[in-house]
Amino acid sequence: MDWTALKLSLELGFLTVLALLPIGVLVGRWLAHSHFSGRDVVEAIIALPLVLPPTVFGYYLLVSFGQASPLGQFWQAMTGRPLVFTFEGLLIASIIFNLPFAIQPMQRSFEAIAPEIREAAACCGMGWWETLRRIDLPLAWPGILTAMVLSFAHTLGEFGIVLMVGGSIPGETKTIAISIYDRVQAFDDASAWTMSLVLLAVSLVTIALTYAASRRIGRRLG
Amino acid sequence: MTGLHRLAGLTTALALIAALTARAQSQEPEPVVAAAADLQFALVEVADAFKMSAGRSVKLTFGSSGNFARQIRQGAPFEVFFSANEDFVKDLARDGFTRNAGDLYAIGRIVLMVPKGSPLKADGRLADLKAALADGRLKKFAIANPEHAPYGARAEEALRHAGLWEAIRPLLVYGENVAQAAQFAASGNTQGGIIAYSLALAPQVAALGSFELIPADWHQPLRQTMTLTKKAGATAEAFYAFARSPEARATFRRYGFVLPGEAP
Amino acid sequence: MPPPGASVAGWGEIMQGLAIRLAQESPIPLDVTLSCRPGELLALVGPSGSGKSTILRSIAGLYRPQTAHIVCDGEIWADSTTGRDVPTRLRRIGLVPQSYALFPHLTARENVLAAIREEPAVDADRRADEFLALVNLKGLEGRRPAELSGGQQQRVAVARALARNPRVLLLDEPFSAVDKMTRGRLYQELAGLRTKLAMPVILVTHDLDEALMLADTLCLLHRGSILQTGAPLEVLQRPATVEAARLVGQRNIFPARVAGHDPDKGITRLDWRERPLEVRLQSRWKPGADIAWLIPPSKVILHRRDRQSRGEAENPVQGTITSLIALGDTIISAVKLDRAERRELTFHVPRHVAERNRVALGEHVGLSLLAEAIHLMPAAEPRGRRS
Repeated sequence: MDWTALKLSLELGFLTVLALLPIGVLVGRWLAHSHFSGRDVVEAIIALPLVLPPTVFGYYLLVSFGQASPLGQFWQAMTGRPLVFTFEGLLIASIIFNLPFAIQPMQRSFEAIAPEIREAAACCGMGWWETLRRIDLPLAWPGILTAMVLSFAHTLGEFGIVLMVGGSIPGETKTIAISIYDRVQAFDDASAWTMSLVLLAVSLVTIALTYAASRRIGRRLG
Repeated sequence: MTGLHRLAGLTTALALIAALTARAQSQEPEPVVAAAADLQFALVEVADAFKMSAGRSVKLTFGSSGNFARQIRQGAPFEVFFSANEDFVKDLARDGFTRNAGDLYAIGRIVLMVPKGSPLKADGRLADLKAALADGRLKKFAIANPEHAPYGARAEEALRHAGLWEAIRPLLVYGENVAQAAQFAASGNTQGGIIAYSLALAPQVAALGSFELIPADWHQPLRQTMTLTKKAGATAEAFYAFARSPEARATFRRYGFVLPGEAP
Repeated sequence: MPPPGASVAGWGEIMQGLAIRLAQESPIPLDVTLSCRPGELLALVGPSGSGKSTILRSIAGLYRPQTAHIVCDGEIWADSTTGRDVPTRLRRIGLVPQSYALFPHLTARENVLAAIREEPAVDADRRADEFLALVNLKGLEGRRPAELSGGQQQRVAVARALARNPRVLLLDEPFSAVDKMTRGRLYQELAGLRTKLAMPVILVTHDLDEALMLADTLCLLHRGSILQTGAPLEVLQRPATVEAARLVGQRNIFPARVAGHDPDKGITRLDWRERPLEVRLQSRWKPGADIAWLIPPSKVILHRRDRQSRGEAENPVQGTITSLIALGDTIISAVKLDRAERRELTFHVPRHVAERNRVALGEHVGLSLLAEAIHLMPAAEPRGRRS
């Protein structure tokens, strides 16, 4: 059992979710309530990581983040560390490729709130922030929870992008998924087996939580 | 109420940044050593011995030499690089990524491995392989990817030497590196493969089948060269030196490597 | 009411209350000018799609027509010429939508609290409960909308709208989703509340009877335009046009020509195909003018076989009964008139009278048209085919 890799994966998952919470809420809510002509395009761009093969995505991230890229060099100059082969780079990549997992369930959840309810909030005198806090969030929380849980699980399981952008640096970018791959090559079946079981358990718990939350969405707004 | 929530948001953002920087700083200064996959078992022992004697640790990561060379060019934080050949190191040195020109640490060998229950025989001269190709016993055969794994390139050379390359090519399964090739060869999903001698000697692998050395003059020699990268620190240098110590050499010898300056 | 086109700035000086002018071509055609004084209840009545809800939503700021001038208590809420558009949350309106739009995750008290903004927290709770008591929901403050009946939800919505201390109260078909009995109770409650309300109230409904019961002013809408504004009974019995007459459900509409006026006797004489008519004096019509006239079914009196009644001398006509429909204690009947008129005349008669007078299909009966109730309108626009 590679505890460092597990700890790394959990940290990556947790920090990704933390970063995606405000992004998902704000973007999801904005998309739910805006009707502008470019909306479909924006939604399609956000959904890209869902359909793009991880290696394609990883390749483009590498091109954008790598040592040769302006972004990569800027980052190196600012922080003294590169964007590739580091945890920070992995975190940024993780936030990007989890965008659809975070935004879409939240967006659906906000869309499910009847417009009359939000109009009633305006009639009561509530402003943007107050409506978000008192009306949208309490009604949409099952979708928000689903989004967070899905993003967390997806991050734990991501392999191709992590390998391409992060390499397999122990203690830095060698996540549990990479570690399993590595242990198989080292003919260490026992470790591979244990770690796979842990990931399987996490996935099952994730799915169970998501289904329970969606039932609650239905009951609350139905 | 709005103020309170803004405060909460700000605190979260700060916590996030703090967590990130804390990560960056709490990095143990353990150097990362990139090693060719054929050293999967041998170098672990060397690293353990290093820890015992010097009290310091290194982090090992295994893969194909070609991949590591590419990553080093892209700024990967490796401090020591154990390549399975000398060309990758020479190119890196020429392009200014290394501290030194590199040192030969071992000469490797390839073997033909067949898993338990395979219809193939462990015939190092590949005569049985030839026959198996002809009579259809062979369905899948594993080697490392010749493009970036030196052991794969040598396997190809050996197969060409035996006049089997064109015939066996459609049946080849390529491992990312020679350890993955060994996985394929030993798992029973192929009828056999050409892998590193050092891997075949490891008990975990030896238990899964049988193997035989392929004549060394059938391919270019595997002149395994190591080097310190520009990022190498004190611990890396110490490990580098340790890898050439008598203790390390004994470990390499046990895993079938020919040491520089010794007869095979 | 300020004429359309009058500058909006002048409206505030003319009156307190609400004054609006809305116009657009699409997606829903609108061309409306109306006003509502504090304490007045104005009913917007019309068939589906006539734009009633759109008007209400425009007042609330939830919809922006191409041309909009909305002034409330002297404050300009919307003016499309200057681009001024006060957002909904600053307009202080109380809206009760058709679906009530209660916040499903909050209790009745919390729903009402959402609209209370000035008070410190301690007093706010008490005030919210007061509003709920005002709409007869005492004891149910802690319930969520899912735990309340339709009528109770509607009351919470009203309480919430009132708790806003609104400048204008807007009700969008608030009674359409409740059963008849509850509706009757709610009418009474609203009528009772009205005495305490010092703001203009605009009620959207498609139910004429509701408007008759509750409204001070009835505004008849059709395809985004106002056909007639006035006291409800006036609009119902004295519609301005044939179109308005049809919308308010009048069926006995016939064409005729004005023969002349007799101001001394207080009558106007009409030339009608069936027979000459004497009707209530309506001297605005020139002799010789083509007009349409109507008479409510309740003012068509059956000649009784058992005894003579005084009214038989008034505009008597004869006809054959073509249909009989019993609705409770009243029979609704239509007769085909003897002479030239093709259209049928509808009249109502109590069941016992119908039975005693052998009113049955095919029977030949005599009817009187009460002169007082005959109302004249401009001639109908010729339709595609003769009805």
